[in-house]
Amino acid sequence: MKKTILYSLMMLCTAGALHAQSAPRKVTFTGAARGYFMGDKLDQQTAVEDTTTVPRLHSGHVMTDLGTHIRPNNQMEIIGMVRVRNDYGGFWGSGVSFDVRQLSVRGVVGGVVRYQLGDINYRMSKLTLWNEDQEFYNGFSTALRQQMDVINYDHFYNFDNAWRQQGGAAEWGLVFKRFVQELQFQAVTTRNRTSDFSGTSDRLFSGASAQLVQSKYLSLGLNYVNLYDVSGTSRNKALFHNPVWTTTMAVQYDKNNLKAKADVEWGKSKTEIRKSTEAPVINGNALEAKLEVSHTKMGWSVYAIARKISEGFLSPGAQTKRINYNGQPEAYQRLGNEQYLRDYSVMDIMRESAFYTMQLQPYLMAFAPKYDNITPYGTATPNRQGMIIGAQWTNQKETVHANAEQTMLQELRGEGTRDARQFSRTSVQVRWHNDKKLTNTRDWAIEASMRLDQTTREGTEFYRGVDLSTQTAGLGFEYEILNKLDVLAGWQWIEYQGFDFVAVRDEYAQIFNFTEYAVNGRESITAAGLRYRFSEKSFLTAQLNWFDMNNGVAANRDYDVRQVMLLYSITF
Amino acid sequence: MKMKLKRIAFYTLALALAGCQVDDDFDGPDLNDLYGAFSVVEGLDISDRAVDFGTGETTYFTARFSKNVDWKLEITGLTSGAKKEISGFSTFLNADNALWNGTVSRLPMFRAEDCAVQLTVENEPDTLRDTLEVLGGRINEGFLLSDFEDGFPTNWVPFIQSGANMSFNVQTNNNAAQGSKYYDMGGLVNWDWLIGMFDIPATAYGNPTFDLNANPEVVYFNTLVYKQPAYSNGIILFQFREDDNMDGTFNPANEDMFAVEVHPDQDGWQLISLKYADLATLVNGQPSADIGNGIREPHKLKQISMLYLANPTSGYAQSYLDYMIFTENAPLRP
Repeated sequence: MKKTILYSLMMLCTAGALHAQSAPRKVTFTGAARGYFMGDKLDQQTAVEDTTTVPRLHSGHVMTDLGTHIRPNNQMEIIGMVRVRNDYGGFWGSGVSFDVRQLSVRGVVGGVVRYQLGDINYRMSKLTLWNEDQEFYNGFSTALRQQMDVINYDHFYNFDNAWRQQGGAAEWGLVFKRFVQELQFQAVTTRNRTSDFSGTSDRLFSGASAQLVQSKYLSLGLNYVNLYDVSGTSRNKALFHNPVWTTTMAVQYDKNNLKAKADVEWGKSKTEIRKSTEAPVINGNALEAKLEVSHTKMGWSVYAIARKISEGFLSPGAQTKRINYNGQPEAYQRLGNEQYLRDYSVMDIMRESAFYTMQLQPYLMAFAPKYDNITPYGTATPNRQGMIIGAQWTNQKETVHANAEQTMLQELRGEGTRDARQFSRTSVQVRWHNDKKLTNTRDWAIEASMRLDQTTREGTEFYRGVDLSTQTAGLGFEYEILNKLDVLAGWQWIEYQGFDFVAVRDEYAQIFNFTEYAVNGRESITAAGLRYRFSEKSFLTAQLNWFDMNNGVAANRDYDVRQVMLLYSITF
Repeated sequence: MKMKLKRIAFYTLALALAGCQVDDDFDGPDLNDLYGAFSVVEGLDISDRAVDFGTGETTYFTARFSKNVDWKLEITGLTSGAKKEISGFSTFLNADNALWNGTVSRLPMFRAEDCAVQLTVENEPDTLRDTLEVLGGRINEGFLLSDFEDGFPTNWVPFIQSGANMSFNVQTNNNAAQGSKYYDMGGLVNWDWLIGMFDIPATAYGNPTFDLNANPEVVYFNTLVYKQPAYSNGIILFQFREDDNMDGTFNPANEDMFAVEVHPDQDGWQLISLKYADLATLVNGQPSADIGNGIREPHKLKQISMLYLANPTSGYAQSYLDYMIFTENAPLRP
């Protein structure tokens, strides 16, 4: 190695306007605006008419995010974004709110270290810091995703699965001439929780990673994250600590049109509350290895994933769910003359902003077995081992995408019995669309998806066996009837039935009891509407949605909601 | 290339399948315990039905159930009324979880007597019963000041006010916390807090100071106190005088006198255990600055005093005292 050249990773990371142009403007503006209206009509199928619940609900708002990017010099950028929102019906300013949506500073120190302070989006690996998509997001068609996209935008859930945090991050790198191409370093610290100066300590999330890129064939990585309480920030002596270490390896080999790639991540975690005599120390380990072979010319690829996540592997950055299933829906929270609490449904997942969280949670959150009993915490779901095999195909014009996947997992350690649950998932997704630029015809797209989940475990003469299944199917359709005016339609069907024991955990994630979980229900959403695309970044859509809930376990709990939705969205 | 890929795929699959093993242990409570049917597989049995705790003997109980249950074993002295409870969560009782060394859960202590044994299971109607005989009560290790079984110690120095209905004497009956005798203190003194007292000089045991460990962290003063249900006004004050300079006398002007006030708050017998290191200097019942070197030195303890007090306006007061003993490393386990 004759020379080593040190320079900023800024050159490697192309994101950001800072280095997008050689002479950037001093001040630029970005933002988004939205007008959103929902009109709901509830209809309950009950033996006795519900005269208590108000059947019609109207809600909506207009909001704008105004962002300013100020570049005092070539090495610094200040970003401030203010949200002004007015709920429909909030006259004379009574429904108006002003919020600072983003405030951050970023730049480069000495042309070497790239930094960012304030609001930052950050992700690392799937076992350390990864914001998994909420249930059904990937299976929904375009028509049904629109309301979810509103929620994702409001909660900073980006397509790269980053978590929005507040703190500071820095990255820098070394480039070598021989043996090793690059060595990249990243470090981040964010404030996860603030002290109340009494019993709640400041909680920080810190992470660091080093990536060694030997060549295009081999790269190695080391990741460390820790969610921890800071001593001395409250009167509480007990301090939560959850360090997670992982190592990664990516090996790639290609010859002619065949390409083989192996990705491995292996790690350990330790969860403890220091100076607590009651909290246990929980150790865990995790391994995921993926081998993928693809044919670049023919467009197909097949892959196999081996996964082993121990029951004690706790990684808040990777396991925190977007949805808090302990929450209650705001719309139609109580139904019936007896005003029972309505259980959550896929309609709430689609549009209930209050269901969603942005704070990393130290222990496992509640989940919905009827929607996902197999990977409720994503890749890092603890107590899972087994194989996933899949295949993907994209045609040469890239107008058809199809993928199929089979998941075969089981528990490492039984819950309440030495017998492990067996998990099986079969999923298929197809999207076929016409590219107007290639064919000089109208845009159109057809989407179809299907997923079959099954959880089983043998029972005994004393307790029931586990047999819980979930089936989902979805269809989507888009057609440009006039220039830039599309007809949209979507349909999603979810059916679940069976029985499982759901673990009841204490405050330290230890199982101390089980509740019997029996479901037999069906939910469906049908949507149809029009969308006018003003540009690639703005559209206006009007939709009619029908949500139908059938509850086969409890009587008089069936209902449907008809919704009129109007959404105008623009980003700039 | 194809061969290589096949090999990689084969080894990956083989490795994955080999790694899919399930733990022998499991998380959470046993579902069989939560949902299984209960039955007694083996009935209650006792390893030694005539046990002499005075010679260091122990006995244990056995039983077996069809599933893990919350069980409770209750042994009751048929003469003393002493009670011992042993409980657990398991499918069986054996020497590991149901061993009895003669201790009590509720005073008085067991003595030579017959005992009834009862085994119950939570949420199950079955009750298993048996009996055993205690040939001799448990003997506790420690420096015994007195158990009053030989009467009031002759070298102790009593002082009793001349009030009304004064009763400062050793009683003999089944009310004793240990053995058959205890010290009864009672009376009405309407001009003074002090009703009666006694001093326990170290010389009563043949030494200028008590023969105790020098480390105050391991020395415990224990006694059994009885509160009459009808009287709640009695206060027992223990004073511990140290000969700090070891000149053979206690000088109240420059040597430590630690004290503790006991307000019996529950009817019947109760155990009072005090770590020597926790003793404080009291003035009129309130913590105060130490008078001597301020160091808790059990081996320099020259005299113990017991003062029985009551508010002179509160009327008649009565309490019992039994089994005064110093133990080492742990409080008394009667």
